[in-house]
Amino acid sequence: MTSPKMETPNQAKKADWFERLRRQGALYQIARYVASIVLLLACWEIASLIITAVKGRALLPDPFRAISEVIRLAPILFQHFWVSAWRLVLAMLLAFSAGYPLGLLIGHERKLDEIISPIIYIVYPIPQVAFILLLFLVFGIGNPVKVAIVAVALFFQILVSARGAAKLIEQEHLTSVLSAGASRWQVYRHVVLPSTLPSILTSLRVSVGLGMAFLYIAETTATMAPGLGSFVKSSQFNQAQAFAGILMMAVLGLILYIVIDILERVLCRWKYVRRRGS
Amino acid sequence: MIRIDDVSIAYGRGLRRVLAVNGVSLEAERGDSLALIGPSGCGKSTLLFSIAGLLTPCAGTISIDGQPTSKPRRDVALILQNAGLLPWKTVWQNANLSLRLGREPREKTAADVLQELGLYDVRDRFPSELSEGMKRRVGVARALSTSPSVMLMDEPLASLDTLTRERIQDLFLRLWQKHGFSLLVVTHDIEEAAFLGQRIIVLSDLPATVKTVVENPEMGDLAFRRSDAFHNTVGALREALEQ
Repeated sequence: MTSPKMETPNQAKKADWFERLRRQGALYQIARYVASIVLLLACWEIASLIITAVKGRALLPDPFRAISEVIRLAPILFQHFWVSAWRLVLAMLLAFSAGYPLGLLIGHERKLDEIISPIIYIVYPIPQVAFILLLFLVFGIGNPVKVAIVAVALFFQILVSARGAAKLIEQEHLTSVLSAGASRWQVYRHVVLPSTLPSILTSLRVSVGLGMAFLYIAETTATMAPGLGSFVKSSQFNQAQAFAGILMMAVLGLILYIVIDILERVLCRWKYVRRRGS
Repeated sequence: MIRIDDVSIAYGRGLRRVLAVNGVSLEAERGDSLALIGPSGCGKSTLLFSIAGLLTPCAGTISIDGQPTSKPRRDVALILQNAGLLPWKTVWQNANLSLRLGREPREKTAADVLQELGLYDVRDRFPSELSEGMKRRVGVARALSTSPSVMLMDEPLASLDTLTRERIQDLFLRLWQKHGFSLLVVTHDIEEAAFLGQRIIVLSDLPATVKTVVENPEMGDLAFRRSDAFHNTVGALREALEQ
């Protein structure tokens, strides 16, 4: 006869942690990401095989070669990764801290909207790439210009989203706090900020993709300083190495998406509760 | 005492200017209960918002206890059509909001009101997790938390099923009797007006003017809904509205 298995405190703690993850749906999320990565790698492998068969040359390296390049070049790649990561994160923070409050003010204050919106409508459609030369002239060729190029592009994106979100605030919510005697600051604190937060986080998600594109442009224009963009460009005659750099860009984007998802779950908790009747 | 003296209210500017209320005069003593009834879009909510200090009349004056209502007052509470709850705040935060905005952290009061309305156990839930009836009760809790002397209600039970509506009407009546605030209810529901109003002001179509005033002295009892007096008041209101 076997005696019943006793759980050690450590095992119990692990089981708790696992159960909490399961309850929060995190395991399902992780499984979804893993399945997506496997599917993407399979598509990549198939595309690589087709291109090799059609062109007679391995123009698109297969994913396993690219991954083995990531492992081989890991120390160098991570240096480039960190440089690009902090540039992108800093640019996003700058764009967010300038674009979000300004967008809310324009969207919520009618007079300010009448004055500033026409200026935005004129400037926003101009491709921000057109300002790159000007930014190089103002900031030189160091790190500041790379951050500035990305920040300028994202600033307009966040500003326009914040303005739109502030315009869609339900009048009932505003009336509700105004009738209780809320000051202007209290209206922003209790209604404008929280009601626009989900839209702004969505806009921030879109900004990750746009920011990566502008970061690539910034890192490959004029200088070849460290950064994933310059790493990919300098590897253009070694496709496997170039794709190792591209893979790291994808990892950077994925990490930022996950961080924004976590932020949304923490800051917009009301969106994730089980709705009555659902 | 609420005094509305020859008040006209317009909104919009230039060619879009609409006169919503035209020369309305009313008076309500402290602790009175008034129902304002009229067709949808006749300007009755506009009048209520003006009493709440959210809109300024273009003519006439509105005063509460002798003070003109040029801006929202701490002792006047407004309950909106869908309770006006903020979806990102929990039941507790919504109920405590008016106190917080007034920088008077009397949290005990909000807790007492939640207890009184049977909402204390759901204080950590968000509005989307509540039934419609519960949401309306949270709206009432928020209004009551500041111990107002005037309670304004803008079609507070619209889109509720009959039984839930009657249960909350009973609650309004009990709270009015217990707390002694002046009650002004805007509604387009004849039975609701007859159940909650000591005096029922029948308003005309846009711009709102006072068509007639129906006295309803026998209201004030939960059983009133089943009495002949109630049915007589409902009949009188129907006639006044159809004229």
